[in-house]
Amino acid sequence: MPLFGSLDTGGIAGVPVMADLHTDPLTIERADSLHLLHEIESAPMLDLIPPALHPTVPPTVSVWGWRCQGTEIGDFTVVQVRIGCRAGVRPRGYLLACYVDDDAAADALSARWGFRRDPGTPKLETMHHQTVVTVEREGTTIIDAALESPESISGGDVQYVAGMHLAETPSGPRLVQVDPEFTFHRADRGKPRLHVFDAAAVGDERIVPSWPVSSSFAITDITLPALRYVCRVDVPAMAGTEPVR
Amino acid sequence: MKFGIFYEISVPRPWTPGAEKQVYDNCLEQVRLADELGFDQVWCVEHHFLEEYSHSPAPELFLTACAMVTERIRVGHGIIVCVPEFNHIIKVAERTAVLDILSGGRLEVGTGRSATWTELGGFGADPDETKKTWDEYVRVLPKMWTNERFGYDGRAFSFPERAIIPKPVQTPHPPMWVAVTSPGTEIDAADRGLGSLGLTFGGFAEQEKKIAEYRRRIQLCDPVGEVVNEQVNTVNFLFCHEDVKYGGEVGQRLAGTFSYMAAQLLAAREAYPSRSYPSLGLLPQLRQEAAGPGDPSGLPEGLAIGDPARIIEVVKRWESVGVDRINFLLNAAETVPQQEVLDSLRLFAAEVMPAFATTEKVA
Repeated sequence: MPLFGSLDTGGIAGVPVMADLHTDPLTIERADSLHLLHEIESAPMLDLIPPALHPTVPPTVSVWGWRCQGTEIGDFTVVQVRIGCRAGVRPRGYLLACYVDDDAAADALSARWGFRRDPGTPKLETMHHQTVVTVEREGTTIIDAALESPESISGGDVQYVAGMHLAETPSGPRLVQVDPEFTFHRADRGKPRLHVFDAAAVGDERIVPSWPVSSSFAITDITLPALRYVCRVDVPAMAGTEPVR
Repeated sequence: MKFGIFYEISVPRPWTPGAEKQVYDNCLEQVRLADELGFDQVWCVEHHFLEEYSHSPAPELFLTACAMVTERIRVGHGIIVCVPEFNHIIKVAERTAVLDILSGGRLEVGTGRSATWTELGGFGADPDETKKTWDEYVRVLPKMWTNERFGYDGRAFSFPERAIIPKPVQTPHPPMWVAVTSPGTEIDAADRGLGSLGLTFGGFAEQEKKIAEYRRRIQLCDPVGEVVNEQVNTVNFLFCHEDVKYGGEVGQRLAGTFSYMAAQLLAAREAYPSRSYPSLGLLPQLRQEAAGPGDPSGLPEGLAIGDPARIIEVVKRWESVGVDRINFLLNAAETVPQQEVLDSLRLFAAEVMPAFATTEKVA
């Protein structure tokens, strides 16, 4: 059977607290979305995800930025760093780190969908020759990632996988499945360039991006949904998945 | 209806010394038995880097071994990944010809292009190009087999005129197939006069539509080879046991294990946005069908698991939607003990094969 993660989630700081798993959906219209995927060296792959999850073959890290305006929780930019994984047979991204530039939005994302908030200021900038996400912490750039030389593609060619967000819930620590819906208005792909990736600052110094895979940019409506499932962290997702009632 | 067996050659962890040899030995023992029992064909995939799921990077070697220990069963090399970074087309022409010679003209050639980033990325292949290079391979390969000398100036590859030797013993050349997983590939198969090598399990309704379209289009085809291979080949799981409940349980465990391992791979579609990969390929279908809606027996529709009576019903249903051949996956990660695999094959041959007149039972 496939390998399982071995991350001890008990020692992780900054885990969001969700008092209630019931939330209304939130639709973010015409968000800018930049996604980069890189393979990573496999040595630490099991230590990056909890025992509920399997690593992908090969293991990957993604950097995913959204710039959102005019939403009911305000204007904000968020950058997620996720480890590619499987919950049973389902493709997922385990949320390793997350940066939000607005306090109110960060609070809402955390309380309603379990997005963690790590120290750092994210920024997403679109230009004709490239789109860039950066995260700065105390004057130092810890992430600088870009899509270069964009070419138009169909939104139907872009696939994002659902997130697994570690959160403290009324039932205890759980992986919260966040499965947004997307309606694409425009999509590009291009060359992925990871100029800066400070693995230690992001959460684990052993993460070494080793091979660029892809990058895409989209203007898309994003609907953060009502939560449907959570998952225990300590047993395989096939056994530990629980519906949100 | 013809019956075959199909190998991914999956090897579960831990990969202790001898583990891979044991799996290969088990597969060869199954092939020998299948040959004795009257199965028509054995297919073996080409995969690379797919941990546990498939340890079969050199199917031509496995199939040569199969040919050496059997008398009648045909050997299906498929699919060959028709992407230059994986296989130079001259090597493909040469090694298939040698396999056809060594097997005494028993070779079938399956073609395809890989559906995982795990493999495409590993070889540095461009996912946008694979459909195009496949198209060029299937048009050039028959010419390399049948012309005494052949040169080519193309898009994916070019080479000066050479004697590409040896030549296959089958005339005009071995039957050619294409793996059909992505939507629309059945049309590609039909338009080129190629056999449809279905790689999805179960799901009568969806398959019936694809097969009908394939049969319609191939009447108008412009064949890439010297013969049209109008046949529909599909794959299935097989576990046949006198007790339908036990047969169903073991068969579902087999199907579930296979699907679970397949899901761990990084599909090209998931990793790389490209029109070239409009679906996740095999994987979502596997998941759906392994756990899919049951028929009256409570077992997933279309899977050849259970007792002989149920399997006969399933196979007749496949026959009725237009399938000519079924290839069975017998094991996954050795989840079924070897003796039970062999017993399942024997029971299938004794009780199921006779219900299908065109399959000759030898043993």
